[in-house]
Amino acid sequence: MKYDIHLQLDYAYRPAVAAGRHLVRVAPANLGPFQRVVASSIVFEPVPVERTEGFDFFGNAMVSVAYRDPHTMLKVGMKARVVVDAPGATLDMSPDLATLRRELGQFLSLAPESPHHFTVGSPRVPLDEEITAYARESVAGPATARGIVEDIGRRIQRDFRYDSKSTEVETPPKRAFELRRGVCQDFSQVMIAGLRGIGIPAGYVSGFLRTIPPPGKKRLAGADAMHAWVRAWCGKEAGWIGYDPTNGTFAGEDHIVVAIGRDYQDVAPIAGILRTSGRQRTSQSVDVLPV
Amino acid sequence: MAKAEATLVKAAAGTRGSLAAEYRPRPGTTDEMVGAGGEIRPAWRPLIDRLDQLSRAEIDAHFARADRYLRDAGVHYRSYGDGGSDTREWPLAHVPLLIEDAEWRTLAAGLVQRAELLERVVADIYGDNRLVAEGLLPPQLIAASPEFLRPMVGWPPKAHFLHFLAFELGRGPDGRWWVLGDRTQAPSGAGFALENRVATGRALSDLLTTMNVHRLAGFFRDLRQALFRLSGQSGEGVAILTPGQHNDTYFEHAYIARYLGLMLLEGEDLTVASGKVMVRTVEGLRPISVLWRRLDAGFMDPLELRHESRIGTPGLVEAIRQGGATVVNAIGSGILETRALLAFLPGISRKLDNRDLALPHIATWWCGQDGELAHVLGHLDRMVVGPALATVPPFDDSGGTVLPSSLKKKEKAELIARLRASGGSFAAQESVTLSTMPFYARGRLEPRPVTLRAFAMRTETGWTIMPGGFARVGASADTTAIALQKGGRAADVWIVSSTPVEQITLLPAKGDTAGARLPAVLPSRAADNLFWLGRYIERADGIARVLRAYHGRIAGAPDPRNPALAAIRTGLRDIGVDEKQAIPPALTGSIDAAAGSAGRIRDRFSPDGWLALLDLSKTAHRFAASVTPGDDASRAMTVLLRKLAGFAGLVHENMYQAVGWRFLEIGRRLERALEMSRLTTLLAGPDAPAELLDLLVEIGDNVMTHRRLYKVNAGRLAAIELLALDEVNPRSIVFQLAEIRSQIALLPGRDGGLHAQPVRREALRLYTDLAISRPEEISPERLRAMNHAIAGLSDLIDAAYFR
Repeated sequence: MKYDIHLQLDYAYRPAVAAGRHLVRVAPANLGPFQRVVASSIVFEPVPVERTEGFDFFGNAMVSVAYRDPHTMLKVGMKARVVVDAPGATLDMSPDLATLRRELGQFLSLAPESPHHFTVGSPRVPLDEEITAYARESVAGPATARGIVEDIGRRIQRDFRYDSKSTEVETPPKRAFELRRGVCQDFSQVMIAGLRGIGIPAGYVSGFLRTIPPPGKKRLAGADAMHAWVRAWCGKEAGWIGYDPTNGTFAGEDHIVVAIGRDYQDVAPIAGILRTSGRQRTSQSVDVLPV
Repeated sequence: MAKAEATLVKAAAGTRGSLAAEYRPRPGTTDEMVGAGGEIRPAWRPLIDRLDQLSRAEIDAHFARADRYLRDAGVHYRSYGDGGSDTREWPLAHVPLLIEDAEWRTLAAGLVQRAELLERVVADIYGDNRLVAEGLLPPQLIAASPEFLRPMVGWPPKAHFLHFLAFELGRGPDGRWWVLGDRTQAPSGAGFALENRVATGRALSDLLTTMNVHRLAGFFRDLRQALFRLSGQSGEGVAILTPGQHNDTYFEHAYIARYLGLMLLEGEDLTVASGKVMVRTVEGLRPISVLWRRLDAGFMDPLELRHESRIGTPGLVEAIRQGGATVVNAIGSGILETRALLAFLPGISRKLDNRDLALPHIATWWCGQDGELAHVLGHLDRMVVGPALATVPPFDDSGGTVLPSSLKKKEKAELIARLRASGGSFAAQESVTLSTMPFYARGRLEPRPVTLRAFAMRTETGWTIMPGGFARVGASADTTAIALQKGGRAADVWIVSSTPVEQITLLPAKGDTAGARLPAVLPSRAADNLFWLGRYIERADGIARVLRAYHGRIAGAPDPRNPALAAIRTGLRDIGVDEKQAIPPALTGSIDAAAGSAGRIRDRFSPDGWLALLDLSKTAHRFAASVTPGDDASRAMTVLLRKLAGFAGLVHENMYQAVGWRFLEIGRRLERALEMSRLTTLLAGPDAPAELLDLLVEIGDNVMTHRRLYKVNAGRLAAIELLALDEVNPRSIVFQLAEIRSQIALLPGRDGGLHAQPVRREALRLYTDLAISRPEEISPERLRAMNHAIAGLSDLIDAAYFR
């Protein structure tokens, strides 16, 4: 599939902020044959005095911008054309959990793709006994790691209610789990906590969803803003597998990856926005159109 | 057994009732002073002989000298308890720990080897990951650590990760020294070691020479050189980065900054511009080349490290990756403090260096491996068990580390279950018994457990070890209670030689002379705090003067018709003071705010100035609790005013009159100009009765001058002449404006001086306007407008110098 993506993030400050520095991760990632970026650009308004580009530890592209003069707004516009070629329904080549644990122990690497970065609690997703217990209910069923991932993801989609009023960006997964409510970030962080709790390495993916569904299919939840889903390490053979608990589906051709990390903090679209002082209005719009 | 030893000691000491004779080391432990055969170790002999020559009263007097020095120097640390934090006096154990230099050299060589190994390990963790690939270091342990700072992976520093290290050492029952933990993040204690030395020197000064004790000054001289060498040729832009005054060892940060002549900066002092680390100064942005950080790296940059950090500098990590500044130690070095890592260092040393570590560390097992877990479970009663990722040694760990042998049956079963379920979260270590050293209390010496913190620094020619250190002596005989936070004590460490040692005198000079070596640039935040220190001190002074005048008038049988009383009440209420309170919160608040401003810039203050402020604050609060309105309050104000004048005098006479002092002076003058213009408006209106004019002259402290100049009450114009227009009256408004104008003219220009032009223009305008006025032109409206403009000048100063 080929998509044109347009993201617009607008912040209005009152009173003006004196200066600022932001780290922005909003552009689709180049993922070899699975996701190819034909073109992409990010435009900032006002024009920053400094702008540098680089990659973080996990290989996500980031743009760093700085302002040294007082300003009352910040606008980030991202446009990209992307070709997604997700592998269709594949064979389940993942092992059982005991084998997964053994394979993990033999995985002697700290490279960004290494599952070891994704096995324990991370800043935004601490391990939680109750979430782990919830996830463990899925262990009795399917025999393979991938089967367990799918089962947990489906259960979250079934048991949780999509409700953008109930949580905020800072809401910890424990709270979202108690509420059984939230948005894509909450669904994903609960699922990550659960998977790690039962020994399946799991990470956080930020990205976009196709806005208008193909004919005859339902419009996906979370398509009007940046989306988030989960990736789980299902052993040496199967590797990383994406699952979208908000929609109860494996990540496929409708999912466009922007960044991967341990949790929201690693992939936050924009870091360095003042949250505490003054008043601030935010708006976000996303269009993902097949071409 | 104990009795036999005691007899031996007594025989060895040869003196009836001597301190040594009464000293009874516990059987089964090593004692630093007394050997296994009960003999006094030779290194300790001169010290013990010396103490035995003194009476108990004389010993107490000697040791009291050390305590007095520490109090006068304001040495303290901050202790965190359930109810917030408070500052504590430095708990010195007066008897130093003595180590012979032959033994010390062996120990130092082991530490150097260890430092070199640690450098290779951290370089590999953030570099090639060969240790992981070869199975010498488990990737899951590194990946799980919050001190594994991913933004630094693949970005090694230009030369080295590690520059300044500390090691916790203890001596086991076999008499060997063991490493209990490596401090690589931001080791503290070197400054306290120096203060311990100065204090102990006050008590036992002659012994330092006669016993050939190695000096510490050389280490600090080399440390300064090493830091300046890291900055390149310039020697500029070397700073200590502190988390701020609420940190438990802030005193030490300020002390070392003063001692070595380095800038003391906080995260908000720094900014990043075009990939370079810069400090905001009153002269604009200046480059920083070396940051000796005293805060955990995770807090240094909210953009790429801990997002919740409020004490960091956005963009710092990116600038440092690009080589913008050298950080001591490199961001990410804290990973080496991970407790479970100790389990792997021996294997790494054998593999990389083909040899064992000369200085062993406490035996450690990471329970994330099946074989090791089995071993731990099989020998649980000889272990302490704690978090694998802990970064403090077990004896410093108030939470999480347990002694299985002391657990109840049920707790132990739970621990075993947790170890089996998630072994990777745990590290077990051999339970160690520390050696003891003599601690002097209540006229006798008692054996107390001791640990030693040693310091290492990288110089041009390699690692060098401080010949001394920082000993921590247990609060009781219990080896688990050693942490200072739990009431332990600090002792000096003497490395004694059989031959005379090099004499270097770099001991801190008394008074404020260290200020002369302060870096030339003044960070904006320091200038801001100095300015406000001046303002708050003067504000307290102004409030106290008005209150003294008021309480003097209501003492005895006041005349309720005296118009001055109503005028003062109005004047007080205008600034939020309720005259019924003898010591109002506005007064104590101003004094506390002054102390608060000074506390944020301790490196720029002499201990005398700081103690004077603390004394002022204590006195004010004591008065607030007891003083009653009227005569009592009036006298209390006189005391406070005298102390305020004393502080002002200290500042004036002892503070190096560099740029910082000018800001303090401008702050004082500006506040006084505000207060005098306000009072003159209030009390010298067109129809002001004599009582009000008298009051104004009294508050203005000019009763004598006034009587001399104007024989009889010359009325309103004379008062205005004196308090607004008299250029030689140090309390007149014009005097303040003249001083502000000349101090501002002497401030360094910024951006070629353009930035400060509005400030200079406005200061000149304010002064000139008033200086050319005649008394009859000074109406209340004019005074009010002037008051407003002076407040506006404060804002202009803020915008030009403090942003």
